[in-house]
Amino acid sequence: MTGRQRGGGEVVCSIYSVLALVLILVACVELGDAATAVDVYRLIQYDLAGAPYGSRFSGLNHHAGSEPFAPGADLSRTVVILPVRELNLTLLQEYITGGRAIGGLLLLLPQDIGNKIVGGNKNKDIGLVRSILSELEQLLIHANLPYPVYFAFENDKTNAVLADVRRGDAAGQPASAATGGYKLVVSTAEPKKVSSPTITNIQGWLPGLKGEGTTQLPTIAVVASYDTFGAAPALSVGSDSNGSGAVVLLEIARLFSRLYSSPKTRGRYNLLFGLTSGGPYNYNGTMKWLRSFDQRLRESIEYAICLHSIGSSSNELWLHVSKPPENAYIKQVYESLSDVAKDLGVTVGIKHKKINISNPRVAWEHEQFSRVRVTAATLSELSVAPELLESTGGLHDTRDAVDEAAIHRSIKLVAESLARHIYGYEGKNINIFADNSSLGINPSYVNSWLDLLSRTPRVAAFLSKNDPIISALKKELSDHTDEVHVQHEIMDGMFSFYDSTRATMNIYQVASVTFDLLLLVAVGSYLIFLFSFLVIITRGLDDLIHMLRRPPQRKTKAA
Amino acid sequence: MTVFHFFNCAILTFGPHVVYYSATPLSEYDTIGTAVKAAVVYLGTALVKLICLATFLKVSENDSFDPYQELLKALIGFIDVAGLYFALTQLTHRNISQNHKFQAVGLGWAFADSVLHRLAPLWVGARGLEFSWEYIFQGIEANANLVLNLSLAALGSLMWLRKNKPKTLIPIIYACVGVLATMPSIISYLRRSIGWHPSKVVAFELMSSLVMAFISWQLFSACQKPST
Repeated sequence: MTGRQRGGGEVVCSIYSVLALVLILVACVELGDAATAVDVYRLIQYDLAGAPYGSRFSGLNHHAGSEPFAPGADLSRTVVILPVRELNLTLLQEYITGGRAIGGLLLLLPQDIGNKIVGGNKNKDIGLVRSILSELEQLLIHANLPYPVYFAFENDKTNAVLADVRRGDAAGQPASAATGGYKLVVSTAEPKKVSSPTITNIQGWLPGLKGEGTTQLPTIAVVASYDTFGAAPALSVGSDSNGSGAVVLLEIARLFSRLYSSPKTRGRYNLLFGLTSGGPYNYNGTMKWLRSFDQRLRESIEYAICLHSIGSSSNELWLHVSKPPENAYIKQVYESLSDVAKDLGVTVGIKHKKINISNPRVAWEHEQFSRVRVTAATLSELSVAPELLESTGGLHDTRDAVDEAAIHRSIKLVAESLARHIYGYEGKNINIFADNSSLGINPSYVNSWLDLLSRTPRVAAFLSKNDPIISALKKELSDHTDEVHVQHEIMDGMFSFYDSTRATMNIYQVASVTFDLLLLVAVGSYLIFLFSFLVIITRGLDDLIHMLRRPPQRKTKAA
Repeated sequence: MTVFHFFNCAILTFGPHVVYYSATPLSEYDTIGTAVKAAVVYLGTALVKLICLATFLKVSENDSFDPYQELLKALIGFIDVAGLYFALTQLTHRNISQNHKFQAVGLGWAFADSVLHRLAPLWVGARGLEFSWEYIFQGIEANANLVLNLSLAALGSLMWLRKNKPKTLIPIIYACVGVLATMPSIISYLRRSIGWHPSKVVAFELMSSLVMAFISWQLFSACQKPST
């Protein structure tokens, strides 16, 4: 009999353990049932020469709040929601540099920044928002913020949440655990340093027609950097800086590949096309690319044209040089450009900036060429050299920052001046790449590449070696040129980046603790009332009083 | 904090059953066995209903109200009544008075119904951070359901267990049982077809359950009196 009991006991034990396991498993089931889930993009986090910049945290789990706040309010457990449209930059300065401790920052970007708008009546608003965005970006990337900062696009759900939060704040009840409200939760891993970020340079070689002798043909290089840097790396599409340059380069490569396809029209110059990376970081990639050249190639380069930001609508372009403008080569390049420019209705000015070898700052791509004694110039719409991490394609630099007509003009300008020089038609009245001819600029090609680049964030540290955009650019160049070579390098140690650039933010509507307590009191009193009601109905009032009096009587009995 | 909410809703949903058992003389007469048996019968009835629904009902793409489907669902609802008949008459109970028998059966029935239909959504949903009124409404519904089931059990015991009933009251008894049996269909009709707000639906449930309880109480006490 004891054996049977023991067997029975074992069965009961196993049942209990299975039950416990099931309960533990069920307890771990966590379904995401937020009121809303929003895609958010984190502010960049990077170290520059060891100094930390950007937002240093990514996890978020705080209540939402919005302006205006009471002067002495404690915001260290609040996420401040700020729509960029109505941003007050001095207020933001307070949070960023004034050292006011907040739990997190959520910046809401207007929807139309992300999309291509047709029609001109929104231009003024968009222009204002763009200038706010560029100022905001410069402020954020040079600050060291000990809390998570996220960007999100405005939509109906976020507008509703913001309106609710503002209403709650206006009623004098800032959201916290005691008074309910909204809770914003982003659960991601802690950001880790990106180990050995690679920069990839893609070059295409179009050889010229070799004459009777075996002398080395001269080379002309056309270079543009294609990567970007911005406050939100997942949104840094850099349409103008430098998507426009990359697209112009691709179209020029296509046009010259047509010209060079037949030996009768092949010029006596080699053409070298270079899509470089590492542009925002003092043109680090260009330097490494140039270093990989062998002596003969470097000496054969007659001159190099670098393209940077030539896509927005202004009729003025600048040729930036580091050799003095009186230099014969520079003069020739400038004159050929301005000849063509006259016909197109564009003015090309010349700006001379001496390079200082001891200064590590490289503001223009041609300066890297000048440091290895190659004649080069940069064509850009910017008249002043940008500072470090400025004009590198950021939040404001989206598809509609680029004017297609301006890009067509720039393509025409550079291609015509190159062709006239190569074929010796300088100063002649000739239109080699006439519109509607077989050598005309293909607008749909240009537009489709612009659209693609404007959809692809291209911060170098987050582009792997086999990233789709790099493969696409490589394939495109190999279609137009004879030899394509891809060079992978590790980025210089001065910059280091941290990952976790995009996440999903859950917005929960939470009830306050007081509500739960009140509910408990209500339900408890209801149950007590029900109990007494039933006792009175079925057994009579005396029984109820008996029940309440019984415990004290028992106690006295025991004593 | 959210486990707190789960706890609150749980005691709102299941508390009244426990309170009813302990407050009325049911606990003195130890009728727990009857209640457990009734709960098991409910489980069996639910399985049979599921099989019938799966066999005879078509799944509609949109959420509209199809009268034919709803009629079918109401007919299948009568299986509930059959199950209750089985629990009241066929199970052998210890010698407990009729009064207590129907209460124990109704209580067990309602408790099983609450656990099967409301425990899982409560566990999965009420523990999250997001707050919604849904679970509190569910708890109030459970209360209304308890009252409804008790009245249904009372009328059922009147129909099948009591032999001498005043002739005039018999059609009323049958009519009330019919209303009670079709109550779930009426509720779903209100909720889906007319689209009442959940709070209105819950209020209607409470009112109707109290009204039906009052009517059944009157009928029961009328049948208690010796027939003249």
